[in-house]
Amino acid sequence: MDARKSSIAIAFVVVATLLVMVVGLLPGAKTLSIETALRVLFAPDGKIDSILIWTLRLPRSLAAAVAGAGLAVSGYLLQALTRNPLADPGITGVTAGAIAPIVACFVLLPWFSSLYYPFVGLAGGLAAASVTFWVARGGNGRPLHLALGGLSVSLFLGAITIYVLLLAGPQSTALMFWISGGFAGRSWSHVLHILPWVAVGVGGALLLHRVVAMFSLSDHAAAGMGVQLNLWKPVLLVLGICPVAGVAPVSGPVAFVGLAAPHIARLLRPRGTAWEIALSAAIGSLIVTSADLIGRTIAIPKEIPVGIMTALLGGPIFVYLIQRGRLDFKGEGA
Amino acid sequence: MTSNVPAVAQPKPWLLPAAFLLVLLSFVAAVFLGVVDIPADDVMSVLTGGGSPEARSIILDIRLPRIVTGILAGIQFAVAGLLLQTITRNPLADPSLMGVSQGATLTVTTFLLFTVYIFNPGSNTLAELPIGWLPTAGLVGGMAAGGLIYLMAFRLDLSPLRITLCGIAIGAVLHALAIGLIAGWGSARIEIILEWLSGSLYARTWDHAIFLLPFTVAGLAALPLIYRPLILLQFDAALARSFGLSYRKQFSLVLLVSCALAASAVGAIGPIVFVGLIVPHLARFLAGRHFPLVLPLTTVLGAVIVTLGDLIGRLVGRAEEVPIGVVTAIVGVPILIALLRKVP
Repeated sequence: MDARKSSIAIAFVVVATLLVMVVGLLPGAKTLSIETALRVLFAPDGKIDSILIWTLRLPRSLAAAVAGAGLAVSGYLLQALTRNPLADPGITGVTAGAIAPIVACFVLLPWFSSLYYPFVGLAGGLAAASVTFWVARGGNGRPLHLALGGLSVSLFLGAITIYVLLLAGPQSTALMFWISGGFAGRSWSHVLHILPWVAVGVGGALLLHRVVAMFSLSDHAAAGMGVQLNLWKPVLLVLGICPVAGVAPVSGPVAFVGLAAPHIARLLRPRGTAWEIALSAAIGSLIVTSADLIGRTIAIPKEIPVGIMTALLGGPIFVYLIQRGRLDFKGEGA
Repeated sequence: MTSNVPAVAQPKPWLLPAAFLLVLLSFVAAVFLGVVDIPADDVMSVLTGGGSPEARSIILDIRLPRIVTGILAGIQFAVAGLLLQTITRNPLADPSLMGVSQGATLTVTTFLLFTVYIFNPGSNTLAELPIGWLPTAGLVGGMAAGGLIYLMAFRLDLSPLRITLCGIAIGAVLHALAIGLIAGWGSARIEIILEWLSGSLYARTWDHAIFLLPFTVAGLAALPLIYRPLILLQFDAALARSFGLSYRKQFSLVLLVSCALAASAVGAIGPIVFVGLIVPHLARFLAGRHFPLVLPLTTVLGAVIVTLGDLIGRLVGRAEEVPIGVVTAIVGVPILIALLRKVP
């Protein structure tokens, strides 16, 4: 696929995402017609419909779209970095690493401003990723070791999170909803909170796309081309974890997006790493906005958190990819 | 004769008696120690049929049932882990890594929410719910997850590696569903479910032990039946077939026993991770590859670890006791990571 076709593919996904977002403005406690929605979208009049869209539904869709792009690029970077097709924020323990300290701060240090939660998440995610990658190196970076290392880190942090929730008493209800991952009631300030973190991750990945591409070569080949992978590894790791750290405090964990989006992007065979990254981001937005829309319309008046929807959609995709051998490691015998 | 042959299995005959002694010691420690200090003399008199009413109720109604439940569940987790590790030929398999625990968690959560909403709208503690039925509820979900593993193994014809990866994926989906259910419908009862979800022996009664006992007995009784296939399944499907073993049938049988053991234990005390993973390794570490010794050692050590883990949680947290699931996670993860670094 040449660059023109790659850009058409991206445009197609972006338009689909926009369509989902517009459709997402309609259903809810008060269902709006498409004409009303479009009218108040472009000419807000301060009436109830306008408020409904501009303060409730639009920021929520935007938060979902931004978060999806961030998570997808996060997965892309982690997969490139480890040369491991399974790497994703959930499987490598990064998500659990971001969630556990945030829950702990919320319950144990109530005076701690939520503005700093992304930094807490970043530190936790980095720590968790370091342990997982250290474990995986013991198995020569085989996918199974990475998956088991990440899963054991996640289970460990999960047990601690549940214990902290137990200590939280009545607050645990709200925290539990947050932990199931979702965008219900997210406002403009939430969009602004996640935007810089996602921008750093996506922008950084696009800027450094040549370095990212080098990671798909062997260490020898990269060294022959004069790239010091060990120098760039920590940079890309931080860039990869930034979006998760920014998204986690707002939405809670959203599973499988980081895993699925890059794989779907690669199925479309875009030309070059930069296109792959951009396409992954667009597909991530499409997945999360669609999951959010389905989750809040399928069981009205109850909402199914978006984390559950992406897990339900992502799990079968994951099994399909494994069965097709698409997740098999290129290195020596898995 | 000089032995150039590596010592494959050097059975250490003292291992098993030593392990049994350890069970006895941990049992005694768990009976004598607790949040409420009861003098040893009083404990002795309770055990011989006397004692004050308070001491009697603390020891006979609180400590003993939870110890017995813990021992039964510990045996079940450990044996289930060993069986799963054997048939998937993955030394790191565990009920919580294969989706079995998460399947049981999903049905138990559903059952708890259902009973809270339909039958006991006023109940505020786990003890007021029909928790004796939890092992059975867990069994349904765990067996369903086992069915998925079976489908993956034979319908999708996956390699042991890919089966494990799929197990992880299925576990993640089922876990997300359970958390979503609790978040969506748990409302004021979330704390009750969290108490179970954290993996705890808190407030376990004789009902639990009695409900769990048939599962333990049936699981252990099935072991002699699957003993020979297990030894062959350790190695290879082809080898098993060359010995005239029906691979598919035996794989399914072992999977069935393993899921039943793990799922009912999850129902009784919650999704405890790492016991099923660590204990078989500990047994192999002590006994080498001598399977006739690994199996009983796994059984015995499973009981010890859960009993001691619960005792530590009770003593460390005092009134706010630390759930055993947290204790095993904190103790087990470093061991697991060391294993992962070592296993080639």
